[in-house]
Amino acid sequence: MSEVHTPGGAPAAGPPAGHPAGHPAGHPARSRSDRTRRFFIRVGALAAKEALHIRRDPRTLYLGLILPLVMLLLFGFGISFEIDHIPLAVSDQDHTPESRALVDDFVAANEFELVGNVPDADAATEVLAAGRSSAVLTIPQGYAESLSRGETATVGLLLDAVDVSSTQQSLARADVMAQVATGRVAAASGLMPAGGANLPLSARTWTRFNPAGRSSLYLVPGVTAYVLALVAVLLTSLAVAREWERGSMEQLFATPVGRLEIVIGKLLPYLGMGAVQVLLVLTAGAWVFGLPFRGSLPVLALASVLFMLGMLGQGLLISVITRNQMVATQASMLSAMLPSMLLSGFMFPIQNMPLPLRVFSHIVPARYYIAVLRGVLLRGNGVSELWPELLPLALFAGLMIAVSTARFQRKLA
Amino acid sequence: MSLPSHEHVVEVKDLTRRFGDFTAVDRVSFHVEHGEIFGYLGANGAGKSTTIRMLCGLLAPTEGDAVVAGARISRRPEKVKRNIGYMSQKFSLYPELRVRDNLEFFGGAYGLWGRELDMRIDEVLGLVDLRGHEGDRTQELPGGIRQRVALASAILHRPGIVFLDEPTAGVDPVARRRFWSLIRALASSGTTIFVTTHYMDEAEYCGRVGLMVAGRLPALDTPDGLKATFAPGRLWMIRGSGLAGTDAVARLRALPGCLDVQTQGAGLRLRVAMDSPVDEAAIAAALPGPVEVEDTVASLEDVFLAVVDADAQKAGTARAFDGGAA
Repeated sequence: MSEVHTPGGAPAAGPPAGHPAGHPAGHPARSRSDRTRRFFIRVGALAAKEALHIRRDPRTLYLGLILPLVMLLLFGFGISFEIDHIPLAVSDQDHTPESRALVDDFVAANEFELVGNVPDADAATEVLAAGRSSAVLTIPQGYAESLSRGETATVGLLLDAVDVSSTQQSLARADVMAQVATGRVAAASGLMPAGGANLPLSARTWTRFNPAGRSSLYLVPGVTAYVLALVAVLLTSLAVAREWERGSMEQLFATPVGRLEIVIGKLLPYLGMGAVQVLLVLTAGAWVFGLPFRGSLPVLALASVLFMLGMLGQGLLISVITRNQMVATQASMLSAMLPSMLLSGFMFPIQNMPLPLRVFSHIVPARYYIAVLRGVLLRGNGVSELWPELLPLALFAGLMIAVSTARFQRKLA
Repeated sequence: MSLPSHEHVVEVKDLTRRFGDFTAVDRVSFHVEHGEIFGYLGANGAGKSTTIRMLCGLLAPTEGDAVVAGARISRRPEKVKRNIGYMSQKFSLYPELRVRDNLEFFGGAYGLWGRELDMRIDEVLGLVDLRGHEGDRTQELPGGIRQRVALASAILHRPGIVFLDEPTAGVDPVARRRFWSLIRALASSGTTIFVTTHYMDEAEYCGRVGLMVAGRLPALDTPDGLKATFAPGRLWMIRGSGLAGTDAVARLRALPGCLDVQTQGAGLRLRVAMDSPVDEAAIAAALPGPVEVEDTVASLEDVFLAVVDADAQKAGTARAFDGGAA
């Protein structure tokens, strides 16, 4: 009860204030162990009931177990930042072993896929405009001859620049091809040693942790965080809002079950479900996409629990405030789904965002959880590298649970 | 509390609850004795549920206080909750769970566990005569059976007093009768029952009845006591074409010693003072056409109407007084 009652409101009727509260000696103090036992019985009863609700509700099971896998496959396969198999048409007017070697170089790495030959420049423009290919490589007559004479040979690459990322990748690939061809030619003609420093300046780059640059490895941690955030916030907010709507919350309040017990009992089953989700998504990620696991398992487990507690607490807070399933759904979507997808670094790098969004991303817990996942899975990080991410996660979880429990109490009387 | 609370299960003193400017419960005082069936009667919105919610520790009183099952509602609502059973009006059970799941949950909420819980579930199911229904999905049960399951879930922890807020609302008459026989059995085994209702016939089953009107408790007594106080005298039920005239009520009111005339269905109920000379013949003579006059006894409905009328008159004079002062 939040209201402070002042006894003795009616002095004429003999103020009860003079009476000691309740019964001075009627009931011996309940022992601590008995209280603890009852605490666990009550939390256990609540958690068991909630688990039954989950089991009996196909929608919850779908959201909790099927949706994460669907999302994983969708993001892992469907949405990819790598571009390969760019359709390439070739107009080889030289017809020499050298020109064919250049075409082979282009299609060797699967980035380009040969879709046909075209006779001349007009035909090249046509296939591009018709969308049958996104790039046309033109090797002019005399290409081999120029090379053999040590002159600069020019080849043309005609690109469909509607798709910006494909265009950039094609341009980069063309540069690499030019270097490769130059090296091969130089070595063959004996002008420079093979594999040597054939260019005045060459930067050597090593890509580590994800050397193949596979976006699935980059995305799977994000999917994990996103799915957890969505399901945790949505399911708890729905579960608690449902009890308000039906009035069963009042029935619960009429039992000796305390607010904290309700909160713990409600959250435990969903925490368990979240743990299953994490395992499911990471196992599927390892199995389907070859996601490695290089770092500290305890750190990952701790971060997952903290992140989930925060999200569950957020769902609880939403439902305590809204007390309505419909509003709770919308609030969950807005407050959990959008930030976790857009402002967490899941898909768009945070450092490229405008300043206000960058600042805002600091209060999006998914940001820290994704950083932990990437750190542990890909970089092999442990607690020494990741404590700056764990700390905000713990803070957020503590804050959400504390605020929602407090709000619970205030709403009672 | 002016009376030692161990004598009474519930001891209410000047209990008041306001919501903003609206006073839902206005300085209500009463007590409930051990093993009694205490009825709380009143129209919807009269303050019955607000009272019950305060007594169950769900709502803090604005003023006044009550001791319920040995604890003050204002200071130790958690202790009150441990010692009482409560069946709310709006909700009783989780519909998608089985009967046994519901009982296990509420048992657990009251700290019961393991063998003790199993034993109690079996006992209460026997008490409400629902053994064999453990596996039924609650939402598939008819309303009457569901109410019995809800009652079972409210008494699992052997509370000394059970608060039932309109337990039979929306339940068919046969199931209502059955439910009331359960309530009587429970009371005879020593459990105090505090029940709100707006069915007058149910109130007849109660040991004592409090009548709530507009947040106040103007009448509280046994059903017979209430009738003697608020509907004294002799009563007739008058039916027939002789009532067709619009002045039938006025003609009856003009009879010597007439206390009250109320419409009931197509007929009128006439109540006259004990010492009035009025009899069947006088009534028939007072009305223009042929009527059927039947001797009858006061019901709680007569009491209720009399109390509401008296209250309205009092409120009316209070308003008139206010108007004069303004």
